[in-house]
Amino acid sequence: MAKLWTIIKREYLERVRTRWFVMATVFGPVFFGSLILIPAYMAKKSKASTEFANTIILDGTTTGVGQRIADALNFKRPAGSVAPVVRVVAAAELSQAESTATHQVMSKQASGYLVLDAQTVKGDSLRYAGRNASNLNDMEALRNTVKETILRERLEEAGVRSDKIKALTLLPLKLSAQRISDAGRGGSGTVSIIFAGVVAFLLYMSIVLYGQNVLRGVLEEKTTRVAEVVVSSVPSETLLAGKVLGVGAVGLTQQIIWVVASVVMFKVRAPLMSRLGVPTAPFQMPEISIGFGILLLLFFLLGFTFYASLYAAVGSSVNTEQEAQQAVQPLLIMLVATAVFINPILMNPTGGTAHVMSILPFSAPIIMPLRLAIGSVPWWDIASSLVALALSCVVAVWIAARIYRVGLLMYGKRPTMKEMARWISYSH
Amino acid sequence: MADYTVEIENVSKRYAEHVAVNNLTLHVPKGSVYGLLGPNGAGKTTTIRMILNIIAPDQGTIRILGVPFNDSRITDRIGYLPEERGLYRKMQVRRVLRFLAELKGVNGAVADQRITEWMERFDLRNAEKDWGLSKIDELSRGMQQKVQFIGTLLHDPDLVILDEPFSGLDPINAQALKDTIVDLKRRGKTVIFSTHLMDNAERICDAVCIIARGEKVLDGSIAAIKDSHGSRNIALSLDGGSSNGVGAILADRKLVKRVDDSNRYFEVELVDGANPQELLHRIVATGASIQRFELVQPSLHQIFLERVGARTRAPGEEPWAEGVEIGMTGHG
Repeated sequence: MAKLWTIIKREYLERVRTRWFVMATVFGPVFFGSLILIPAYMAKKSKASTEFANTIILDGTTTGVGQRIADALNFKRPAGSVAPVVRVVAAAELSQAESTATHQVMSKQASGYLVLDAQTVKGDSLRYAGRNASNLNDMEALRNTVKETILRERLEEAGVRSDKIKALTLLPLKLSAQRISDAGRGGSGTVSIIFAGVVAFLLYMSIVLYGQNVLRGVLEEKTTRVAEVVVSSVPSETLLAGKVLGVGAVGLTQQIIWVVASVVMFKVRAPLMSRLGVPTAPFQMPEISIGFGILLLLFFLLGFTFYASLYAAVGSSVNTEQEAQQAVQPLLIMLVATAVFINPILMNPTGGTAHVMSILPFSAPIIMPLRLAIGSVPWWDIASSLVALALSCVVAVWIAARIYRVGLLMYGKRPTMKEMARWISYSH
Repeated sequence: MADYTVEIENVSKRYAEHVAVNNLTLHVPKGSVYGLLGPNGAGKTTTIRMILNIIAPDQGTIRILGVPFNDSRITDRIGYLPEERGLYRKMQVRRVLRFLAELKGVNGAVADQRITEWMERFDLRNAEKDWGLSKIDELSRGMQQKVQFIGTLLHDPDLVILDEPFSGLDPINAQALKDTIVDLKRRGKTVIFSTHLMDNAERICDAVCIIARGEKVLDGSIAAIKDSHGSRNIALSLDGGSSNGVGAILADRKLVKRVDDSNRYFEVELVDGANPQELLHRIVATGASIQRFELVQPSLHQIFLERVGARTRAPGEEPWAEGVEIGMTGHG
């Protein structure tokens, strides 16, 4: 046990001391910080622009609706913007007026023009052309304004009193979407999808990165022949276990630092945003229960052990980095195949694919935490996934330990699959 | 209790393609310097790995320091220097050494003290520079070999196993290694080292075992081996090289069993029962001028060639095809 600890300690400390680890650990929170701040900043950018009211209204309806729309736009106009201009035009001269307005927009006297005609009064269609035509917020505001104005006019025609109209049309409907799971309501739907995506991606990244790390470590010990000295002091299984645990601990350390930094980042987000001049949108932190945390840890540990021991087996069976790159392909294919399914499963976390992939050992450590993050999963699903993964883990470690033991001392030609199968059968 | 540090009885190890070690029996006396000799691929490394419990024999028993080889208590009492050397390149020297010591159950504080002592002894730490704080890959090859050798001895092992320790050493380091081996023996430790360099073995070993193709060819103390191979050897040196007449005499299979041209002299082995005087008379008769004609004990090198090479080499024939290297190490 003391020797296992010696190996774990070396694997851990030598990695944590590297510049690479320090860089990645610092870069992580910066990355998450930008993940939180940039969308908020972008959202600010895409708010209704000040240009939105600076519109020419070509009214070809003879109903005077143009002026009413202008009044409504004027009312909603952001500070510092130019008031809209109404031009009443005969229906026949509309196209002429449109080309004049186009020139005005081109020379930046107006941001765009709105065309009102008989179709608009009927409630069918509305045309707008302008520089901000691609700003969804502007267009939505414009459409709503016209809609409301026409609605008021119709109500007036129907004989509704004008003070009544105001009360009737005032409908500031705000949609707040809440997620419902088996455990009840809670959390915002979008947040949990983003959160689940981040969890899956992080698990994928750390398994790939630290799996490769194990492989390189094994290869280094083999090529420098340190392995031979070490296995003359401890059984090869102890060396393998120490390596996998040590590297796993490094990965865990990094993730804990990342999570803590992200939470802190989240806490200071509001003051930081107001300094940037961005109003903080209500952004709910995903709720993380202790149970979820423990399951996440369990899946990470099992998944990492599964992949890391296989990576170690690959590392012990080759002699050079180049050979390693080839030999590692099957492992990478399993991981990439899982990553490819992250998106579809995010969209449909209760579908058949999701179920199958949370049982298969190579994808379970990534897909199951993803499903857990999105919403509640029946306990028997979690249990069967864990059992399948744990059993595969035992098999993978057993096979890896046997390949590792022989491969570590075998130099020269890269073994074929058949030879590796024979190594597994060697008694010692 | 045991008179032998290592007892190997009827051990065999087979791989799919070949038999690495076949029915090997050998005994390494306690407190001796023991040479494991043989050409490349003879099974020396496999034997060493089995002693170290890195691989297990298919059959036979191995006892070390009186207990079975796979007893976990003995690994801490063995020090091992593998043939191919290397250490964690990016790691600080002191940390590597402490790691190796801790793997052998030495606690950190004791290890630190011993590291300092050894580093001073091998001049890796002096008033000007402490290499212990450098990374392994900042050290020269010679220094790295010293570090590895220190790593082998930090836990003060009772049995030290060195696989081809002299390969790649410069004369100064080879001398330092030889001195350390002698010192270990003086302190009652047992040293086993493998080599294919007979000169080294003859100089340092108390006893040797020669193996070839996985089988023991002979073993015993150097003195006993030499005695058993008799004094049938003659060192012959001629002024101006060998004339044709002498060549014909040396090629006479009734008189001469084998000849080894060592450049400055011939080492001649006579056939059993042949009279050295007859050889002398016949050479004198050719008119050749003799500088040296001396009855000598066969060198270990000769014995090795005779027993392993197994082929008699007449003058002018191609040299040994057995993979025996007659390389000389720098020291001496």
